[in-house]
Formats: sequence, structure tokens, C-alpha cells
Amino acid sequence: MKLKLVYSHENVKKPILAKIVLKTNLLINIIEAKVTANMGEMIIDIPSEGEQLREVIDYLRSEGVTVKEVVRTIEIDHDRCIACGACVSSCPADAIKQNEDWSVRFIEENCIGCRICVYACPVRVIQALGD
Amino acid sequence: MENRGAEELRTYEEINRRIQSGDVVVMTATEFIEYVESYGLEKASKDVDVVTTGTFGAMCSSGAFLNFGHADPPIKMVRCWLNDVPAYAGIAAVDCYIGASCMSETRPFEYGGGHVIEDLVSGKEVELRAEGRVTDCYPRESLETTITLNDINQAMLVNPRNAYERYNAAINSSNRTLYTYLGVLLPNYGNIHYCGAGELSPLYKDMNFETIGIGTRIFLGGGIGYIIGEGTQHNPQNQLGTISVCGNLKQMSSEYLRGATFYRYSTTLYVGVGIPIPIINKRVAATAALKDSEIFTYIIDFGVPSRNRPIVKKVSYAELKSGKVEINNMEVRASPLSSFQYAAKIANTLKEWIEKGKFLLSRPVELIPNYREFKPLIIKKREFVVKDVMTREIVVGRLSDSIKDVARLLTERGIDHLPIVDDENRLIGIVTSWDLAKAIAQDKKDLESIMTKRVITAKENDLIDIVVKRMAEYKISGVPVVDEKNHVIGILTTDDISRKLVGRRLL
Repeated sequence: MKLKLVYSHENVKKPILAKIVLKTNLLINIIEAKVTANMGEMIIDIPSEGEQLREVIDYLRSEGVTVKEVVRTIEIDHDRCIACGACVSSCPADAIKQNEDWSVRFIEENCIGCRICVYACPVRVIQALGD
Repeated sequence: MENRGAEELRTYEEINRRIQSGDVVVMTATEFIEYVESYGLEKASKDVDVVTTGTFGAMCSSGAFLNFGHADPPIKMVRCWLNDVPAYAGIAAVDCYIGASCMSETRPFEYGGGHVIEDLVSGKEVELRAEGRVTDCYPRESLETTITLNDINQAMLVNPRNAYERYNAAINSSNRTLYTYLGVLLPNYGNIHYCGAGELSPLYKDMNFETIGIGTRIFLGGGIGYIIGEGTQHNPQNQLGTISVCGNLKQMSSEYLRGATFYRYSTTLYVGVGIPIPIINKRVAATAALKDSEIFTYIIDFGVPSRNRPIVKKVSYAELKSGKVEINNMEVRASPLSSFQYAAKIANTLKEWIEKGKFLLSRPVELIPNYREFKPLIIKKREFVVKDVMTREIVVGRLSDSIKDVARLLTERGIDHLPIVDDENRLIGIVTSWDLAKAIAQDKKDLESIMTKRVITAKENDLIDIVVKRMAEYKISGVPVVDEKNHVIGILTTDDISRKLVGRRLL
């Protein structure tokens, strides 16, 4: 499960994720992080579900971190796609691959929602979904 | 090459007779490669009449001549726009040329000439706006209307440079993402982009230009087109041959003419080109049989902003197509920008046209040259470089200096920038008067905690214009000038530039 965490000025300096790791022993993977003195934005991958996942989300929220689930990040219009591959190696997360016939395949689990593919597509057939 | 273009195995007339009688043997380049592997080149060159090729990639040097017909009262168009994209109107009264990479004035980087061409070909209405020069012949001053491809007289796709034989691949060694005509290049050797159709590439399959010339009939944009000469920047001796082509836009298809955008670079047009290669002699058969593993290109480092970007690696299209290339012991992901799927579709379509008797081959009136000098542009007007303007009498500080020493130095010498160097005069940081203000505000005591360590620098032969842009980009007012070994040899500040360079003349 991928989560987007938004830290405010107040909580950006606290070791919140470290505490969760120590408490739960979960191997949390930080996929993307933008942290400044005033705020932080992170996308994490968390190998958990059910009760344990709920606990982690509740803890994050109790520390004042905004938590959003990262779902359905992009959509490729395969009818208009020219199967060039410009999005494939532009994707830093290896979430778009080319099949044997060069058509492209999106791998949702790998996507970190960075949207580079949206801009990398020369014929603009990749759409970012929501926020 | 002696007898270039010699019809030793079969003539064009023989091939066309076989096309008309329905017993011509046509293979796509991919099929021909397999056939040669199974039966050998000797037999393949006897058995196969024509090999078809295809490519579908971004071809910026593309565009269309349009004739709108006369309005009443008539206008001599001086400036004109199609969906807000400027078209060149410096020809006769109601002719224009719409170029693929010209961008919309209202939606730049989103919509351009390539999109106008795609919209026209797909039958959409396009807004035409024009301004005229009033004369006795042409009393109208301006016009606004909409047109479709059906409404206008002629629409000729005329592309000065298409179908590059191969294309350089790109990588980025710098630490920031680059947006180039070879796509998004991730920092620190993050990815490789490449172009060209490899073993389906029309020009590579006849790399000595024995059958390709003026008047060669080809697949162009889903319809029929013709080669009208060598392309601009034709450089066949380095396998960078190009062709110029033309064709009637009205019989083309938006499937093979797609408007496109390279983010933060430009708009362009994806063009489908397919050339039939008649197997007229064994040399042509041999080049038509070249495989991806035998076709090479270079990976160029776009992290270096110069005409002479360094070559990082020579690679085959087979290696590129595998999706991974080893660079400095790292596996770097590679992906194409041109479509192999469409290239194959084009080669197959052309094959079908020939087999069904819908497409005859034409003997070129004149072959395209297989050698052409390739010239760079020499800038003859003097351009100023950093060493023309920089201050050589530099004041530097050392890490051991106290903040107070530095403050005294800056005020005594009336300067705002102090490069900090090590014992061998190598740059390790910079302190500005602004940093000193911060030091007081935050009560910092040592130099190291206030100095900037990732210093933006310049080299003495960098163009002033480029350095000025760099300073604006990083919002700084001065850069230390360093040599190859990072020794400080001068300093260039906005003050130097405004005092010494006025009106682009050195005072």
C-alpha cells in the first residue's frame, strides 16, 4: 500500500516514521521525499494491511501528518497511444514497460505518482488522475 | 562506388511487370533478415524482388504548403495563423507554409504546426486568421474564417528533412532532469532515449543510396509520396543520411501524421515513412539484410551543453532494444521515442500495397549523394567570453578566517563576494555580504556554517550570455571563475558585466 504523507511546519522535524518503524518493525520504504524546513511531502510504501495498517495511519494522523492513499495515479489511452516508449525509461519507478509488440503496459503497484510520464508522452495520451 | 545503382539482378521494369502480374516477391526488412539467415544472401537476393521498410518518429523538419483560394474582396496575406499557430506567408497572396515545430501563440508547448496538420488530415475545422497589405490588387486588410482540408485548393506535405538513417541516443550525466528533443532525460545517467527504426530504417537498408533518389515513390503519412532530394543535414558517410519528401496531404491519414510535443522543448510531427527497396544488386541485398545487432549508433551526453557533446558509448540497436544498456558498470534503462510498432505496420502496409498491385516502384531520376560535407555554423561576429570581462585581481578567504575578518575584507575592498579557497587556491565555498547578514541574524560564529559549498562557477571561455542566464537561474550576482583543476582565477559579477559590457561592446 502506498501512502502520501504531508508534514506541516510543526511536525516536519519530528522522527515520526522512525518511531513507527521501531514500534511495528515494518520495513517502510520511502519512495519519494521532499522535505524543507517548513514542510515535507513523502510517498511511502508500507508492507501491511488490515488492523496493522489502520494503526499506522491512525498514529500518523495523531501526530498531525496528513495521510492520503495513493491510488489510480495515471491512465493511458491505448487507442491513441503510438507505442513509442517515451514514457518507459522516463519513469523513475519502472512502472511502465513495453510488451513484445512494443505496446505499453502500466504497472500500478510500482507507480509513485510523480507524473513525469504525463509530460514525457509526446502525443499526450497519459492522463493524471485526481490528486 | 562503381556502378552505384546498377540493375544487375533485376530492373525496375521487370519488378513492375511482376507486381502487375501478381507474382512479385515482397518481404518486410524483418522477414528478409530471417530469410537470409535461413537460405543465405545469394539465394535471398535472387528470390526476393522488393524489401519494404518503415519508420515512425518525430520529424521536426516537416510542414505543409496550403493554398486557401481567394476571398472577396481578396487579400495579400502578410501574416497568417492557423489555430493561433503562425504560418509563413511570405509567398504568393494566399499560399502559406505551416511548419511542424512552430508553436501556438496562445498554447505554446501544447499545440503547434504538427497538430494543425493532424487536425486538417483528420477533417477537423481549423481557424484561419490573416493580416494583409492593402494594395489596388488586394484591398482587404484582414480576415478570420475556418477551413477544412476539403475547402482548400492544395495541401502539400513538404518535409525538408525526414527519415534519419540512424539517430544519436541520449543520456544525461548532470544532476538535473533535462527536457530535450530526445525526451525527458533523468539526472545521473537515469535513462537512455533513442530514435530510429534500426533494422526497419528505410535509409539504413540502402545505406549506399543505390535505389533511393529524386522521384522514388514512397509510403508517406499513410498515403503515397515522393522523395524530392537529399534531406537537409544529409550526412551519409556517418550513417546520418536524410531525405526530403513531398506528397498530397489530402490522401494521407491522421494515423501516420501525429502532432506531438516534446515537453519544454517544442512541438513536432510524428511522420510515417516507408520506402520500398528493390533488390537490384547484391550490395543492396546485403545492406537490406543488416540486423539490429549490426546497426550501431552513439549514446551522447546531453549533460554537457555544447555542440560537441561527448560520446558515452557506441551501441547496437539490438542492445538498445533490449531495454538495458551498461554504462559505467551500471544498468541504465533505455526506451525508444519512435514507434517500432508503427514502423512494422508501415513496412507491412507497403508490402501489401505492392503485392496487391496498388503501388509500383519508380526508378529515381537521380540518386541521392552518398557523400556530403557536413558544416557547422561559424559565428563571425565577436562574442564576449568570461575572461574578457572578469576581474582578475581577486580577494579570497580561507576557512580559518573568522567571520569578522571576512566582514572587514568585504568592506575594505568594497566587494560582495568572497571565494573561500584551500591551501592550493582550490575553490571550496563562497561567502557573500548577504551570508554575513545572516550570520549576525542567526548568531553563527564560524565561516563553514555560513558559506555556500555548492558554488555555481564559470570557466574563462564560457560565453557571457550563457553565464548571465546561469546567474539569473540561480538568482546570484557573482560567480568565481575557475580553471580545469578548480583553482580560482577570477571573479565575474553582475557589476563587472553592467560596467564593462554596455550595448554588447567592450568599453
